[in-house]
Amino acid sequence: MSASSNAAKHRTLMAAIGDEDTVTGILLAGIGQVTSEPGKERNFYVASENTKMEELERKFDEFINRDDVAILLINQFLADKIRVLIDTYTKPFPAILEIPSKDHPYDPEKDSILRRLRRLMGE
Amino acid sequence: MEGLYFNIEGGYLEGVIRGYRNGLLTSSQYVNLTQCDNLEDLKLQLSATEYGNFLSDVSGKLSTSVLEQKLSEDLVKQFRYLRAQASEPLSKLMDYITYGYMIDNVALMITGTIHERDRSEILERCHPLGWFDTLPTLSVATDIESLYETVLVDTPLAPYFHNCFSVDDLDDTNIEIIRNTLYKAYLEDFYEFSKTLSSPSNEVMERLLSFEADKRAINICVNSLDTDLTVEDKLKMLPGLGKLSAPAFQHDLAHADDLEQIKMTVTSILEYRDFFDESNGKTLEDRFYEYEMSLCKNAFTQQFTYSTVWAFVRSKEQEIRNITWIAECIAQSQKDRINNYIAVY
Amino acid sequence: MSGAGNRDNVFPTRMTLALEKGKLKGAEQGYSLLKRKSEALTKRFRDITKRINDAKRKMGRVLQTAAFSLAEVSYAVGGNIGYQVQESVSGKARFKVKARQENVSGVYLPQFETEIDESINDFKMAGLGRGGQQVQRAREVYTKAVETLVDLASLQTAFVILDEVIKVTNRRVNAIEHVIIPRTENTIAYINSELDEVDREEFYRLKKVQEKKQQAIVVEEAEDAARKAKIKEAKRKRKEAKKQAAKKAAEEKAAKLRAAEKKIAEQKAAEKKIAQQKAAEKKAAEAESCRAKRC
Repeated sequence: MSASSNAAKHRTLMAAIGDEDTVTGILLAGIGQVTSEPGKERNFYVASENTKMEELERKFDEFINRDDVAILLINQFLADKIRVLIDTYTKPFPAILEIPSKDHPYDPEKDSILRRLRRLMGE
Repeated sequence: MEGLYFNIEGGYLEGVIRGYRNGLLTSSQYVNLTQCDNLEDLKLQLSATEYGNFLSDVSGKLSTSVLEQKLSEDLVKQFRYLRAQASEPLSKLMDYITYGYMIDNVALMITGTIHERDRSEILERCHPLGWFDTLPTLSVATDIESLYETVLVDTPLAPYFHNCFSVDDLDDTNIEIIRNTLYKAYLEDFYEFSKTLSSPSNEVMERLLSFEADKRAINICVNSLDTDLTVEDKLKMLPGLGKLSAPAFQHDLAHADDLEQIKMTVTSILEYRDFFDESNGKTLEDRFYEYEMSLCKNAFTQQFTYSTVWAFVRSKEQEIRNITWIAECIAQSQKDRINNYIAVY
Repeated sequence: MSGAGNRDNVFPTRMTLALEKGKLKGAEQGYSLLKRKSEALTKRFRDITKRINDAKRKMGRVLQTAAFSLAEVSYAVGGNIGYQVQESVSGKARFKVKARQENVSGVYLPQFETEIDESINDFKMAGLGRGGQQVQRAREVYTKAVETLVDLASLQTAFVILDEVIKVTNRRVNAIEHVIIPRTENTIAYINSELDEVDREEFYRLKKVQEKKQQAIVVEEAEDAARKAKIKEAKRKRKEAKKQAAKKAAEEKAAKLRAAEKKIAEQKAAEKKIAQQKAAEKKAAEAESCRAKRC
């Protein structure tokens, strides 16, 4: 456990995958970081309903494999597209949070973590 | 006297504009809109207005962004129709109106070019009213210098650039400063132009533009309070027209360190004394819009004027904002704020 | 699980028995400790699951409010500022998180804390011409919203880690309870039974040995008796032989004796004859002497 908690020390960034409004809002809060380091240029990605699944998967992979990302925020409607990836994701870091978007209110039924939670609770 | 010959050139267009103006939503229609429980209801309500079935070809779930896009398309369509019919000097005036959007587009292009973004993505985001012929050639520009030399130089905005910036400035000046400096030059130019119009167009336009300038001046000063903009920077962006353009006012505004000082300066103008009154939960921006709308409404009371185009465009824009706002409130179940729209007709 | 076959493959000696007993004790202690750990973690886990549920629902509301503040911006600016905001981002992030550790029964749970670097603001200029105040307000609202997201992320990470740790702990508890302890018990039982068996064997063996010994003794005694009888017989024979010999000897002796006696008697008879002759000669000499004297 200590290995992963040490790793957590260097994770200071948040990353976001979302529609334009969500990303804009989260960027306003100031999570954005842009560097010239390859693979870490931007820690946010704007997607839409029409974004290709491969592209989403690629970005998702990129963010969860970055060693400086502590929390990854992703719009639920986008998470739905790569649900398999999220359901099979078990690492504690980065934490993946499914967040609602403006046009897609939050649905607790779909949330991977909440579903896992309900399964544990025997519902 | 001008009115005598006005109808020869402008009669048809004024008729069309007034027709469009009558198509603007009325207070009671707004009330109907606010009663909607979801966006589909809203769509239904809108189909009973001048908009008709403009949303009928939207497939899938209706979202506020789609709605806003469709509303804007409607405005663009109307504007283009008017522009196609217009002759001098109305066509010139309408061109001037588009310059404002061009500035936004140019700002977008500069931002995109600095960060080496995808050109098609930038073009997609450009406001259609601010379209100019060289815009697609944007793709050849790879840096700011070539952007200026191949694209911007040929736009009507070139003189504004010429007066304010050298090419080197474009690289490291904040895009907002560029935008606002350009806008200042643009307003001043527009103002000069509107003076040449026949009466009463010139009077109405001057009034509208003055307010536009004051609005920007107040905004710039209020919004730059917490930034490290220097007084010189601010003065460079304050337009040289409007009620607040007197050097004493500009000095006070630019040197203000907190909101109170700005408030004191602004409220010394009779018409603007309510602007900072935050009772009723109205923000400064709300006050601006209210005042602007009342000016636009008044603009229609004059006959034989070209200024109705400006008033119409502004009113229509406000209407788009209103509908989007209402849609947003409905979509996000924030009904308690839904009456925040501004309806004057 | 149980079943005599399930045991450690050990050599059933008393030494191993002591070892296995120690092992069982250790396992039982470990079991109770782990069980307690698992209970403590589960308690924490339940607490977290409850909070996570609430927090997720709350997040929905918070973000909705935040999204609405963005709608206000759009209203004030009269357009979308998304692109501008995205492009304004430069350099370091203003909003960062720091992971602090919290120790729950030996499990380190990260607790994210927000760290806001107020010196960084990429959006100071946003909406300078119009809507700047709304932009700044939206910024504040979103900062708050993201802070709740960070709290939620802490909960969620704790949830994921605890879930994993509890699973592992429970697996160990179960392994100890259902595998190690029964197996050790089986082993002990096996050793015990084996040792008993050995004992019994030993006893039987001893008994057998004794029996053999007894037999041997009987045989020996018999032999002994036989020998003794033999010896007796021999003795008797010897004696008899002796007797006979003695008899013989005696007879011989007697014979000898008799012979001697005969001899002696013969001698005596000879002597007597001699003596008689002598006496006859004497008498004849005396008679002659007497004659000679008379003479």
